[in-house]
Amino acid sequence: MDKESPRIGVFVCHCGLNIAGVVDVKELVEFAKTLPDVVYAKDNRYTCADPGQEEIRKGIKEHNLNRVVVAACSPRMHEPTFRRTVSEAGLNPFLFEMANIREFSSWCHQSTPKEATEKAKDIVRMAIAKAKLLQPLKEIEVPVTNKALVIGGGIAGINSALDLAEMGFKVYLLEKNESIGGHMAQLDKTFPTLDCSICIEGPKMVDVGRHPNIEIISFADLVSASGYVGNFKVKIKKKPRYVIHENCTGCGECKEVCPIEYPNEWDINMGVRKAISIPFEQAVPLVYTINMDYCIECYKCVDACGARQAINFDQKPEEIEIDVGAIIVAIGFEEYLPYADPLYGYGKYDNVITALEFERLILAAGPTGGKVIRASDGEKPHSVVFIQCVGSRDVNKYEYCSGFCCMYTLKHSVMLKEKYKDNIQVYVIYTDLRSDFKGYEEFYNRAKKGGAHFVRTKLENRSIVEDAKTKNLIVHAETMGGKPVEIEAEMVVLANAAVAVQNATELAEILNISIDANGFFVECQPKIRPTETDTPGIFLAGACQGLKDIPYSVSQGSGAAALAATVLSKPTWIIAPLVAKVNEDICSGCGVCESVCGYDAVKIEQINGKELAKVTEGLCRGCGICSAACPAGAITMPLYTKEQVIAQLRAVLEKVK
Amino acid sequence: MPMKTQKITTDNQLIIERRHHAKTYKLTIDQASCVGCELCSLICPREAIKVTKKPKIEGEKAERPTIDVDEAKCHYCGMCVAICPYGAVHVAVDGENISLVVEKESFPKLIREISVDTTKCPTDCKECEEVCPLNLIKIESNSIKAQVTVEILKERCPCCGLCDVKCPEGAIQVRRIFTGKLRIDQEKCPSECRDCLDACPITGALFLDEKDKIRVNELFCTYCGVCKIVCPEEGALELSRSTIRHTPIRSGAWNKALEKLASTLEVTKELRGKGKKRAMEAVKKRLETRRKQIG
Repeated sequence: MDKESPRIGVFVCHCGLNIAGVVDVKELVEFAKTLPDVVYAKDNRYTCADPGQEEIRKGIKEHNLNRVVVAACSPRMHEPTFRRTVSEAGLNPFLFEMANIREFSSWCHQSTPKEATEKAKDIVRMAIAKAKLLQPLKEIEVPVTNKALVIGGGIAGINSALDLAEMGFKVYLLEKNESIGGHMAQLDKTFPTLDCSICIEGPKMVDVGRHPNIEIISFADLVSASGYVGNFKVKIKKKPRYVIHENCTGCGECKEVCPIEYPNEWDINMGVRKAISIPFEQAVPLVYTINMDYCIECYKCVDACGARQAINFDQKPEEIEIDVGAIIVAIGFEEYLPYADPLYGYGKYDNVITALEFERLILAAGPTGGKVIRASDGEKPHSVVFIQCVGSRDVNKYEYCSGFCCMYTLKHSVMLKEKYKDNIQVYVIYTDLRSDFKGYEEFYNRAKKGGAHFVRTKLENRSIVEDAKTKNLIVHAETMGGKPVEIEAEMVVLANAAVAVQNATELAEILNISIDANGFFVECQPKIRPTETDTPGIFLAGACQGLKDIPYSVSQGSGAAALAATVLSKPTWIIAPLVAKVNEDICSGCGVCESVCGYDAVKIEQINGKELAKVTEGLCRGCGICSAACPAGAITMPLYTKEQVIAQLRAVLEKVK
Repeated sequence: MPMKTQKITTDNQLIIERRHHAKTYKLTIDQASCVGCELCSLICPREAIKVTKKPKIEGEKAERPTIDVDEAKCHYCGMCVAICPYGAVHVAVDGENISLVVEKESFPKLIREISVDTTKCPTDCKECEEVCPLNLIKIESNSIKAQVTVEILKERCPCCGLCDVKCPEGAIQVRRIFTGKLRIDQEKCPSECRDCLDACPITGALFLDEKDKIRVNELFCTYCGVCKIVCPEEGALELSRSTIRHTPIRSGAWNKALEKLASTLEVTKELRGKGKKRAMEAVKKRLETRRKQIG
């Protein structure tokens, strides 16, 4: 092929009227025919459609073409389509070049069709100049480790892990806390069906714990990750529990004798737990943990444990390394606690609580045994005001809508009214009530019928003042029409914003994925690839990608599992050969390339006794920065070689001369 | 309600509090009872208690050190409650006084062995009430019935034994809680300085001899260590505790505390004692079964 003289075919696309409405396609075809080495040129209404692709295949066969140029849209969408088309006709897929005359010409020069046509000619001329120098390339095949890592054991991660395990893949489920379960395990009921949350999540947690293909690595953090799709190496640090997993039967006798009580973070510090304990009864894995920050080392637990000998005060942090082919990130969300917002008096007034605190109050297994009581006097409130959008939809705090607060407030109002009937007055201060998924609007109607008062107010000018004597709260707001609203309540529940996990940034750095301005992970494409990241082999599930409620977290968890399986199910993974190539004769091993690479893909290594740059093909994303930075010009990018780029420049500057 | 911690200082109390929505932990130090010794701060597992010497004002008597508790660190375990010989510290959970570590047998109680034989008391004698340096004794006598009642606030008594020694009839018997040694290096002890003497809560435990030198009367010393804290001269005062009378215990936390209060040697001794006791019990049991077999 190298020696063969180029026989180039040019296919100009109308793209309906997108291109043909501005650029004179016929003139462009005639122009292409005049260029050297072009043996065939043709126009099509839609080149990407089946008939258009057939034209290309036909052209290759009938005119014995060995290079193909398609003048159409951006390569982002259809370059893979046409590479496939030419390879179907027996041509190496990399002997194809795309000329973008839509984004670069017809779309941006709509009012000047004549000039647009001239520019399109330049673009096509450049593409042809490059096409002459194209070389066939071979795709790179890498082996795939068919195991997965799921980071985060909330409901999204649980579903990812279970689905992958059911497909037959080994799954490591990494959880930073002592137990999997996530936020869902903290909830009392779920909307709109009022199912008991832990009753429906618990069995799934148990399934995870028992599944032969799942290994839970709990109470552990991700330290580092390297490698690429199909071949990730992950380092994990397990925190010491001071209890031997295998020996602990979960009987809880140790907890009974332990004298020390400390705030239970899992219970949002509303209750306490023992220095040796589990965060909640349904914990999976059911292994006790000693909190050494609080333990006084009286060794009563050691005595209670007796012959089981599960307690080991000498446990040290342990670092393990695992190999996986795909990673699913499902680290969930955190709460914004409005301590610093003086309008709501959170942390200052005893009877102002957050929605999650309310959830723990009304939960039978919670710190009050399911009694909704005021912190100030331990009495059941007779009136409760729910305030929506605290921190969310606030341009000064979090501009976005947290998504699920409207629905959980409806749930809370229904639960309160059904529990206390006419003994309680419920007010919901809202600005827009959002109930836009299956069964949600019906639930809103149920809440309204239940007797809760819905008061629509502006987002601004809301405040709470405490009556120092009664500890009641006077809520001030303003209706949409500007009328003042004043409600005295015995308890206020804030629908505080849900926010991205604090150390998401750190995780993003380790995994080389992106986060947005709000700290949520960035998907590959927001509409059609919401579960993939820009890094092949790393997928997203649940609220860490964008806030979502339980059914959608579950769905995305399963979706991420299916996508991970597209990697894990293959024995090898094909990588496009658009990766940096080092000319070892020229490379001096200076290391400039290593310092500029954003993907850790180039490293200086000892090769045959010489310091040389080495490219890990699986990691290289073909950005070309190393090639541009290399002072010796030792690194080339296939499809963007120096010769090819210069040829393109010559082609476009020819006319200027 | 989110968890809240706070500290309240009044003239006679230092209170720290940790409030959960449905549970409240409270630690109170009674400033009148607290002598500013080092015992609680020595054993606090969270190092939450700090004893600070008050700055000396020229020409005035040395004041007792002040005690401060870090509300962010304290986890209300109640070790300080159990160790305070002056009964100055209280922990309450939901209003109820409790020492969690004592309750769960993770920490011993101090044994205050005080016995009074009131039959020996003359109705007109108030000697013990008068000598008690902490005003813990109340005497009521009924001369008609020839009856005397002696009420002692035991939980606040450090068992200095002054009443025992001073009782003319030998009616009170007090066993010491702490034993140890307190030595003053007369070379280092600055003359004119009376700081330890001023701060010592027990009258007569420290005294001035005829040469105006400060001397220790170990008969009364409770080994609480206030003197050591206020002493301006490093090494002038040397304090070591040896035994502490406490309820029987098997706890790592106590061993640790004992090591800090006394010495590693004392821990070893105590542990060996326990070992001996257990060995003796085992022998006794064996002998009994043997006897039964023979019998």
